[in-house]
Amino acid sequence: MDRESFERRLVVLFAVITGLLAVLSVRLWQVQVVQGDYFSRLAEENRLRVTTLAAPRGLVIDRAGRPLVANRPAFTVALLPTEVVNPQQEIPEIARLLGIDAADVWQRFAASRGQPFQPVRLRRDVPKTVVAAVEESRMDLPGVLVQVEPVREYLYHDLAAHLLGYLGEISDADLRRLRADGYEPGELIGKAGVERVYDRYLRGRNGELRAEVDAMGRLSRTLRTIPAVAGDTLVLGIDLPMQQAAEAALGDRLGAVVAMDPATGAVEAFASHPALDPNLFSAGIPSAAWSALLRDPRQPLIDRAVQAGYPTGSVFKIVTASAALQLGLVTADTEFYDPGYYNLGGRIFHDNENESFGHLNFLNAIAVSSNVVFWTISRSVGPEHISEYAHQYGLGARTGVDLPDEIAGVVPDPAWKRRVYHQPWYAGDTLNTAVGQGYVLVTPMQAARMIAAVANGGTLVTPHIAVEIRSPSGQVIQEIAPPPAGHVPLSPQTLSVLRAGLSAVVTRGTAASIQIPGLAVAGKTGTAESAHGKPYAWFVGYAPADNPKLVVIAMVENAGYGAEFAGPIVQRVLETAFGLTPAAPPAGDPKP
Amino acid sequence: MSAVSTATVAAPASVSTHGARTRRLARNLDPILIIATAALVAFGLLMVYSTTRSTPHPFLYTRSQLLHIVIGVSVGIVLIAVDYRTLASASRWLYVANLGILAAVLVVGRSSLGAQRWIPLGPLGQFQPSEIAKLVIVITLAKHMADRPGPYRSVRDLLPFLGHVALPMFLIFRQPDLGTALVYGAIFAGMLYAGGARRRDLAGLAAGACLLFPVLWHLLKEYQRRRLMVFLDPSLDPLGSGYGIIQSKIAVGSGMTWGKGLFAGTQNVLQFVPEHHTDFIFSVVGEELGFAGALLLLGLFLVWLWRGVRTAAVARDRFGALAAAGIVSMVAFHVFVNVGMTVGIMPITGIPLPFISYGGSALMTMLWATALLLNIGMRHQKIRF
Repeated sequence: MDRESFERRLVVLFAVITGLLAVLSVRLWQVQVVQGDYFSRLAEENRLRVTTLAAPRGLVIDRAGRPLVANRPAFTVALLPTEVVNPQQEIPEIARLLGIDAADVWQRFAASRGQPFQPVRLRRDVPKTVVAAVEESRMDLPGVLVQVEPVREYLYHDLAAHLLGYLGEISDADLRRLRADGYEPGELIGKAGVERVYDRYLRGRNGELRAEVDAMGRLSRTLRTIPAVAGDTLVLGIDLPMQQAAEAALGDRLGAVVAMDPATGAVEAFASHPALDPNLFSAGIPSAAWSALLRDPRQPLIDRAVQAGYPTGSVFKIVTASAALQLGLVTADTEFYDPGYYNLGGRIFHDNENESFGHLNFLNAIAVSSNVVFWTISRSVGPEHISEYAHQYGLGARTGVDLPDEIAGVVPDPAWKRRVYHQPWYAGDTLNTAVGQGYVLVTPMQAARMIAAVANGGTLVTPHIAVEIRSPSGQVIQEIAPPPAGHVPLSPQTLSVLRAGLSAVVTRGTAASIQIPGLAVAGKTGTAESAHGKPYAWFVGYAPADNPKLVVIAMVENAGYGAEFAGPIVQRVLETAFGLTPAAPPAGDPKP
Repeated sequence: MSAVSTATVAAPASVSTHGARTRRLARNLDPILIIATAALVAFGLLMVYSTTRSTPHPFLYTRSQLLHIVIGVSVGIVLIAVDYRTLASASRWLYVANLGILAAVLVVGRSSLGAQRWIPLGPLGQFQPSEIAKLVIVITLAKHMADRPGPYRSVRDLLPFLGHVALPMFLIFRQPDLGTALVYGAIFAGMLYAGGARRRDLAGLAAGACLLFPVLWHLLKEYQRRRLMVFLDPSLDPLGSGYGIIQSKIAVGSGMTWGKGLFAGTQNVLQFVPEHHTDFIFSVVGEELGFAGALLLLGLFLVWLWRGVRTAAVARDRFGALAAAGIVSMVAFHVFVNVGMTVGIMPITGIPLPFISYGGSALMTMLWATALLLNIGMRHQKIRF
């Protein structure tokens, strides 16, 4: 092939290319110039609207399938920024109709600049009368949409409120973190409790309706519908009647109650008071009301069972006794003399009201909760061993319960005190720690797990609120049974002395007042001095004493003696759990 | 010239130093091709910004595109500095490596819109080997044809080249990427024609391809068949596959003569047009810049292709001449099919608009193709002093 024919062929190639581009140009002229008006009109009419079809959030039910949290249909009023013709006029008007702050609407309107075709929710759960008023003014309010969206409904209002949690609009921080999982701005997300922890199961998957609408915003045809997928059902270990009994027994006092299966760690009742009705948050809470809640001195937002630590008082003697028995420093029959006070190098430690128990053995010292005996043995056990056994019982560490923002509490020892307070450990600190005073801070959930370990023979269970996740159609997707966190190394002898002591507490000791006919209860009282008023009252217990099926603990803030204020709560929950309340009130109706 | 058997290789003056020679060569760079390329790339960057600026991160796509321009140009400069004949000698390895990577895509590739075209590269993002594979096929086929200079007297003489292209083409077809496989066909036809194949032999191959069509139809995925059928009659499925064509035509047509103005396209913002920053970016050009803007863009492509053809004409050897012809065929086919698709005269096959569509692999491939053209043109036989 010679050069000339090659160049000739290149000329042909280029001619073909030019021809192809000419074809494109002619076609473009035809579409854009000749038919331009026609396509412009089509473009004008071409209004696409993408509506999110909110997925119904998964139900939350108790162990027997009784619904605790459900959804109800409600109206949401939203604004489509691109279709707002005269915002100066329209925004104050819609704010007035909805009874919301116009500044808030302006802010949302301005924030939508990037995506003017996405509806911005103005108010959820709008009452029917207001919806009617909005519909009436429709002609003056272009761009205002009324959508039907499910609203979360907590059937028993403030019952188990901390455990269930509540919903709120997703925060910017959460959005950045979760965007990849498909979370969208303006979406509701679980903010606390199991609503937060299990949000990704409960939320379901939003659907989408892509439709063309005419200039009036009326649907002209549906292009694509992706149906919403309902969220999964969360089955809790909670037993509704027991939960109601726990809350009723706690009453108006500040405190917490936890009931748990000692074998599995499944939580069967869980109360923290004061609590708020989570329904208040379902449609969004005004910011003024929110800041009032944050300032409330009773701190209703704090989950007292896992987010607050308290000195346990004598409940801690379970730890000290375990250490002393396991180290072979005492036996059940070791004799002590309790004169009502303890002399630590000239400094006198007084027991409650200087009561003297005289001569008594170690088992009875547990039963009557003699501080003097425990002060005495704490000197030979030593702070390191007390701390070691406390940690083995899971104190000073999060229990791993499926609730947010759990705290670890404090188990002090000399190294801890040096690190935190830059102070040496004194012998008095050992005495205080041995009886659950001083620096000791324990959450009610930790106390429940500790007593569960005594009840089940030493297994440190991982407490869990949820027991199962089911698909909307009822199939089990996942069973929730977290493995134990560890094992408390207690010999059979140690366990039997401990259990005998805890049984004696109820049969003839400090908590003799809470005996239940027909049910052998074992447990330990605690009365922890507080700097803020009356002592914290504690009772941790289990039943039946010989074959424990349930542990129940109660803690009441600034109330008084454990036996007087916490014991009866545990008693009432146990009565309900074992069906021993002949005159039990009817299991409260869900308030509509 | 050398496309010719009587190659007269003008040895450069041996007295010149390396630096002086480099400067002399650099003076031979085609300024019109460089300007046309720069204009196309700038045009593309502007359109990518226009199509993606109303997303939550307005500069995300533009920044990524810019990054790929920087990488593409940097590597391109290296490509220009190395004599293109080095590529010819590495041809065998390039071909084998190319097949290996295309086979790897089938195994590890990431799926996008139902097709496996991507190889994940960890933090570097992902890489679409079928883009760079086009350029590799141009280079290796040019070398193959230079080694068998003909004359090609029958279809049988063309069969080795057919085999050369068919193997990678089949791998890409299986990804499945019908559009890119067709690009190979265009490269093959363009290079064989330029290389001296007889018209009747090419016509024979085309007829053979038509006979194969029923078999290929069977191998196509359902969505590809639907796209082709919908092309023949968009109203078959106005809400599904036909939707893109209809919406694209509305976008282009509503731009009218002068367009709605940059960033002012409503079909663009409304996201009526699917894939509007990648394959359908021309519909936004048509909508926002009108017939005038569309013609301007086609004009830039025409200038670029003209300089490519000219490079082929002045190349010092048959390899360079055929490589240039292959690159020109490749880009011309892309432009025609892509723009044709947005105005409803070509089926939707998912091939990008060179230099304009968002997509790093395609953009860098086009920049390197330009670098190769500049390289071939710069080392043509008559070195100006």
